[in-house]
Amino acid sequence: MKNFIITVAATSLALLAGHAAAQAPSDAQIASIVVTANQVDIDAGKLAESKGSNAEVKAFGKQMVTDHSGVNKQAVALVTKLKVTPEDNATSQSLKAGGADNVKNLEKLSGAAFDKAYVDHEVTYHQQVLDAIDKTLIPSAQNAELKSLLVMVRPAFVAHLEHAKHLQATLGKKG
Amino acid sequence: MRHAAAASVLALAASAPLGVVLQAMPAGAAAAEPVRTHEVVIQGLLYVPETLSVRRGDVVVWINKDPFPHTVTAAGVFDSGPIAAGKSWRFTARKPGTHSYLCTLHTTMKGTLRVE
Repeated sequence: MKNFIITVAATSLALLAGHAAAQAPSDAQIASIVVTANQVDIDAGKLAESKGSNAEVKAFGKQMVTDHSGVNKQAVALVTKLKVTPEDNATSQSLKAGGADNVKNLEKLSGAAFDKAYVDHEVTYHQQVLDAIDKTLIPSAQNAELKSLLVMVRPAFVAHLEHAKHLQATLGKKG
Repeated sequence: MRHAAAASVLALAASAPLGVVLQAMPAGAAAAEPVRTHEVVIQGLLYVPETLSVRRGDVVVWINKDPFPHTVTAAGVFDSGPIAAGKSWRFTARKPGTHSYLCTLHTTMKGTLRVE
């Protein structure tokens, strides 16, 4: 099940990369993708904060809620200022569905199994979002401030990915 | 460009108190080094400037312009704890040496503070 969900999430983001080659998303669609991608990780983070068994996993979940909420606050402030209405699209819908599936799967798990599934998904998720930022979102963004926001938040995804990989290695040793 | 702007702000900040200190000092007194204030801006998960050299007793202010918290932590020397988005942390550099520091929340972020 976990592998299935990771595959779905990976496919939706790979779809995004492939989709972009055919048709680049508009700024309104990018805004929706950014907000959804952050929200998906906030939802998973909240669950890890309450259901995680390892202290580091709980702390990581809490940090994901804080960091991605901060990014979303900034993104919403920018699109409001630019008078851009985020436009729902196939990628944001797919991200939302993938996030809901992940939460549904995590809710069934507990203890070390929960920690491992959450962290594994976080590694895949951050890698895929990073790829989408680099290959699709930054190159497609038309508005300079939107592009700048993406460039400024990109390193956070790199840091989160490193952190999640470190946790994955730590949990692997314990298991 | 950001560096140039920051440098000119720092130059202004440093020159103003210097004038006051010199005027207030009696003629012939040993010239005490005025306290200087330095700024490090945190943005896009970078400390800018990444390396900063200061004199002992100088004040360093880290300003977090990212939308989430960061820390400024040199194990055993200084630790800001989480600096919230839009907030800053002020520190008086007293221990000489080259202190490597990082953000404990995002360990990809690294900086160096040299205290002479």
